[in-house]
Amino acid sequence: MDTSRDDVGIAFRSAFLARGTKQKFSLFVLVILSILFIFIESLETRPLNYLRSFIKDIIYRGSSMVSMPTKSFGSLTDSLNEHISLYNNYTELKKENTELRNNISKSDFLELENAQLRKLIEEQVETQSNLVSARVMLDKQSPYLNSFVINIGSNKNIKNGMEVLDGKNFIGRTVDVNFFSSRVLLVSDLNSRIPVITEPSAYHAILNGRGIRKPTLVYLPEKHTIQNGDKVYTSGKAGIFTPGIPIGEIKIEKEMIKVILFSDLNQITFVNINLGKDK
Amino acid sequence: MAYTYKQIKFRFFELLPLILLLFISLNGNSTIDLKLFTVNIHYILVYYWVLRQPESLGYGFIFLSGIISDVVYGIPLGVNALSLLVIAATAAYVRVVTVRITLINDWISFIPALLFANFIYFLSLYFSNYSVDYFYLFKNSIFTFAFYPILWGIFSLILNLARS
Repeated sequence: MDTSRDDVGIAFRSAFLARGTKQKFSLFVLVILSILFIFIESLETRPLNYLRSFIKDIIYRGSSMVSMPTKSFGSLTDSLNEHISLYNNYTELKKENTELRNNISKSDFLELENAQLRKLIEEQVETQSNLVSARVMLDKQSPYLNSFVINIGSNKNIKNGMEVLDGKNFIGRTVDVNFFSSRVLLVSDLNSRIPVITEPSAYHAILNGRGIRKPTLVYLPEKHTIQNGDKVYTSGKAGIFTPGIPIGEIKIEKEMIKVILFSDLNQITFVNINLGKDK
Repeated sequence: MAYTYKQIKFRFFELLPLILLLFISLNGNSTIDLKLFTVNIHYILVYYWVLRQPESLGYGFIFLSGIISDVVYGIPLGVNALSLLVIAATAAYVRVVTVRITLINDWISFIPALLFANFIYFLSLYFSNYSVDYFYLFKNSIFTFAFYPILWGIFSLILNLARS
């Protein structure tokens, strides 16, 4: 019995503590170093933040370079697919164009009515947007985190928590800002919670990211009257984001209120970041 | 001339696991998405080479590859590195206690390696306040385990080419 316990001990020591041939570090030392890294990650000090930003910037650039061949191949297949489906797209667009032409007169009337009503309540509409554009540098959707990296950071006054737009649509917010790069946490991410408002029902809710699945609305009133096709906008509650930025439209599936985003998060190349009133 | 060619070939196949390791972490292909399921090739690569030919894959490089993956995927630094080192540690232990190398032995001993690594992964993300899709993690583990023999075959081929 003792001998067998000794054997286990020897095997354990040999695997974890001993350095094998051509091994510069033992596993034990590296495991301790990893734990130390995880611990340090939770510390917020200026020198550590600089070091982290420096490491991340270098790795992002390296990763962007290494990804180039696969990215080019992906673009080539996308372009081929687009050419193949050209005729179908043309037919669809033609149909869509006719529908849109019919809707123009309706929207003109609504715009006029909106302007008149605003005048009536003497609302001071103040645009606070101060947009800066960025290119998506690295788009590696992790199984657990839906985010991408953009090519600007604190060098362009980007700060944590700024809203990120695809055209006019809200798609996420900045997290983890480095010198020359920042990470954008998308609305579909498991860790994303965005205060929103629905239209026309005007219910306040939270848009809850669900990873690879469609985001859902939570914390709605019990007897709500939300229907398929209702629009979802940022509510601006708590002053985190500008109110009224379009996000998506509602689709009710199996009693779950899902939100179909206006932007396809897999097809984003350029984004706008709202710097707010800071600049 | 023939000798030089043989040397280059040997050197290439010797370095191939390391090149693959750094490429998949820099390119963000640790987890390959096959529409219906995902497979963590990073785990399989580390487990196989530490088990069969540890000289080809230094622990320092495994750690570095984990750190790169952490940065590319945007999770706290050290989480992937720790999971990969746990995989490497299990493989190193199995290598010490095993006499015969067979696919079945490797495959079965891959189960505790996966369990430990995912447990550490989950624990590190939990304490870093990151939400994790548990079902996704579970499905990924099952398919990583199921996919092991295929990559075992490919890696064995590379190993044989390096030795021939």
